[in-house]
Order: sequence, then C-alpha cells, then structure tokens
Amino acid sequence: MERLTIPATERSPEVDFDFAGGRLSIRGESYPEDAAALFGPLFAALDRFLAASPGPAIRFDFELIYFNSSSAKALMNMFQMLEKAAEGGRAVTVNWIFAPEDETMREFGEDFSEDLSHVRFHLVATPPDGG
Amino acid sequence: MASGKPPDFNLFGAEEKVLAAAEGLERRVADGPEELRADVRALVEAYRRAVREQRRLVKVSDRLQGQLGTVNQELAKRTAEAEEALARLRDAQEQLVQTEKLASLGALVGGVAHEINTPVGIALSCASHLSDATAAIHRLFAADDIGVDDFQRYMDTAADTARLILANCERAAALIRSFKQVAVDRTTSERRRFDLAATIGATLDSLGPGLRQAGHTVTVACPAELMMESYPGALGQVLTNLVMNSVVHGYDQGVAGRLSIRVDQPDPVTVRLVYADDGKGIPDEYRARVFDPFFTTRRGSGGTGLGLHIAHTLVRGSLGGTLTVDSAPGRGTTFTLVMPVTAEERLSPG
Ligand SMILES: Nc1ncnc2c1ncn2[C@@H]1O[C@H](COP(=O)(O)OP(=O)(O)O)[C@@H](O)[C@H]1O
Ligand SMILES: [Mg+2]
Repeated sequence: MERLTIPATERSPEVDFDFAGGRLSIRGESYPEDAAALFGPLFAALDRFLAASPGPAIRFDFELIYFNSSSAKALMNMFQMLEKAAEGGRAVTVNWIFAPEDETMREFGEDFSEDLSHVRFHLVATPPDGG
Repeated sequence: MASGKPPDFNLFGAEEKVLAAAEGLERRVADGPEELRADVRALVEAYRRAVREQRRLVKVSDRLQGQLGTVNQELAKRTAEAEEALARLRDAQEQLVQTEKLASLGALVGGVAHEINTPVGIALSCASHLSDATAAIHRLFAADDIGVDDFQRYMDTAADTARLILANCERAAALIRSFKQVAVDRTTSERRRFDLAATIGATLDSLGPGLRQAGHTVTVACPAELMMESYPGALGQVLTNLVMNSVVHGYDQGVAGRLSIRVDQPDPVTVRLVYADDGKGIPDEYRARVFDPFFTTRRGSGGTGLGLHIAHTLVRGSLGGTLTVDSAPGRGTTFTLVMPVTAEERLSPG
C-alpha cells in the first residue's frame, strides 16, 4: 500500500503511515477546524490496511503535544480499530510518547489504554530531543 | 478523587441504570435463540464501551479546560505585570521630563541671578560712593570749612551717581519684570497675547550669562511689534532647549559660536522662526533620531535625550506648529519652527 504522509500544520499533526514497513506515526498538535477532513482519509487508509490479512506486524507511534476533544474521540476510534486487528491475530504495538513532565499526556495515555487488551500499549516518557 | 461529592451523586447514574437494564435483558434472553443472545451481548458490550468512552471524553475535555484555565490565569498575571511595568515606565519618563524642565528652569534662575547682579552691583557702588561724598561734605560743612569748589564737586558727584543709580535700578527692575513673565509663562503654560521679539529677548537674557561665558554671540532679526496669541512659555522653553543644545553639543571648549534667530512671516497668519548655530553639526546617522525621547550622544555626562523631544512635543502640541532639523557635520545645525500666529486654545496645559 502507498505510504501516506501529511505534513504538520499549525493545528494538525504530522502523519506518516509507512504501511509497507508497518510503521505508523502521528506527531504534533491536533485541534483541526474540521476533524472529519483530517481524520477521514486516515481512517479510510487504516481500514484498508487492516483489512488485508494476514498483514505485517504494526508499530504505531503517537507523539502528541496537544489535542482537542474531537481528536480524542478520533484517537479512541483508531485504538478500537487497532484492538480489533490485534484480536484478529495481528501483532500491534502502540507507543504513547510524551514529554516526561507532561502529566496530562501521560494520564490520557493511561485512559486510552484501559480498553485495550490485545494491543501492546507502551507509555514512553521521552525528552523532547530524545526520540 | 470523588471525596467532595455527596455519596449518592453519580454523574453517569442514568447510563449505569440503562446498562443494568440492558444486562437484565441479556439475562432474560439467556434461554432464547443463540443468534438473539449474541446480538444482545454485542449490543450491551458496545453500549458499555460507549459509556466508557463518554467518561473518558468528559475527562479529556475537563483536563483541557483545566489547562486552558491555568494558561488564562498565567496570561492575566503576565498582563497585569506588563501593565504595572508600563505604568512604572511612564512614571519614570514623566519624572525625567520634569527633570529636564527643571534643568532649563534652573538655567533660567541662574541667568536671572547673574544678570541682575550687574546693575544692582553698579547701583550699590554708586550709592556707596555718594554716601562717602555726602559724609565728606557734611564734615566740611560742620567745620564751617566748605568752599564753592567743594560744593560744586559734590553736586557733580551727586548728579552722576543718582543718574547711574536710577538707570541701573531701572535696568534691574526691567529684568525682574521680564524674568517674572518668563517664569510665570514657563510654569503656568497659559495662552496670552505677547510681542514675539520681546519674548525672544527675555528668553535670551535669561540665557545670557552662559552664552557670554562661553564666548558665543546671538543675533536676532525679528519684525518689531509682531504680536502673537499663543503660549510664550512653551516658545521660551523650546528656544532655551535649542540654545542650550548648541552650547552643550555644538562647540568644543574655547570655540566661540555664532548663533542666530531669524523670524519672518510666509503669510499673515504664520510665523517662521529659524534658529541656527555654526557648530559641529549632527552626523547623518543621528539626524533622524534627535527628536526621539532618550536619544542622546551624551549619556553619562548629563544628557537625558529629552530636550529636543520636549521641544518637539511643545511645538506640535501647544504651539500647533512643526519643528524640523537641518544639519550636516561641519555645517552647523538649523532648526526651523513654523507656527500659527494664533494658537488654538488648549484645554489641558502641555
Ligand atoms: N545644536 C546641536 N549641535 C549638535 N548636536 C546636537 C545639537 N542639538 C542636539 N544635538 C544632538 O541631538 C541629541 C539630542 O538632543 P536632546 O534631545 O536635547 O538631548 P541631550 O541634550 O540631553 O543629549 C544630542 O545628544 C546631540 O547629539
Ligand atoms: Mg539637550
């Protein structure tokens, strides 16, 4: 599948879905004017990618500094898709990356991981330049 | 976490009731067909997850708003701090402006003292001479030894000294009158009718000692009886600042400068005053900045950088005119002041 990359804007994160390498990432801030416009294409691509089975192992890095409520809902939907794929036998690792002093981001990660039992979910505290 | 809430309050009570009902339904269909049970189970599970997500979303938005609140508080604090700093800066600026005004008022007072000293000194020594002569003639008279010559000499002395005393006292009185007017104008900033040449003269008189001491001369060319309805205090202040700048910045020690003031009227309602010195001039890179507050090439040796700023402000404000500079290194410095004969009445002094 074609690699999907979207550069960051002031209000939306940088997206890099390297499907062939099984490495996906979303980094930056996310408070888009139009959540559907940002996440719609991501969901569509992810859906197609996850439908192909048996697929390669997936590593998904989330490194967000700030996001709004719509983005939070979108993230939860995404986690649910990943959980289903993991339940179906795909090896899925999620890295929830945040700055060590960012307690809020850590707590969001803890909350989001509650519903995931098949996905391997790691909380990763990384200094800004460390990763 | 929930310590402050009454024990029976539950934000998601309604959802939990629906969930309990759904679980009851799940039990009720336990004996039903497998397909139905599977569907109900999936529905209940989906609802459970939806409720969890809802809780999570509420938490997310609460936290986000909490962060926003903190940021807003911080912003308010910073804004208050910045405003306070600005107020302090304004105070300091106002104080400096007062300092600069006081400095030129100080020069004025110094000038007054010095200028009045001369006629008063002459009058004093004449009076003392007359007193001595009177005592001498009195002695001769008492000894009945007075001759016509003695009396004639005494009469001459008395006439001479009386004339000198009168002339010098008149000069002192005139100086005091004009300084009094300058001082009143300078401190009250009131609009009044005045003779421009006289106001220029009085201002220069107050600066006289400093100018003479440095060896500078001032020539004035101003139409007689040019009456203005304006702010003589502001005008005197402007002239004082210009002259003091020439003395301070224009010449090296021992160089005698030629300063000039030329007044004409481009039209009947306008006065143009051109002030010039033949001093060092202002380098190109500074010329555009001389009116800026705090611009000075003499920081550390008494410069505040406010003299021309104040002059400019007074011209633009009270006098309702314009003040421009023309200068080049080695070609002296010229300031041109163009103002209406009749200034607009201002409500607040300035
Ligand atoms: N007549 C002049 N000749 C040369 N330089 C001058 C003259 N008048 C003003 N300047 C320059 O303009 C600057 C600003 O003048 P002013 O605002 O009165 O501040 P200050 O006299 O305190 O330095 C002076 O520091 C000086 O460099
Ligand atoms: Mg000055």
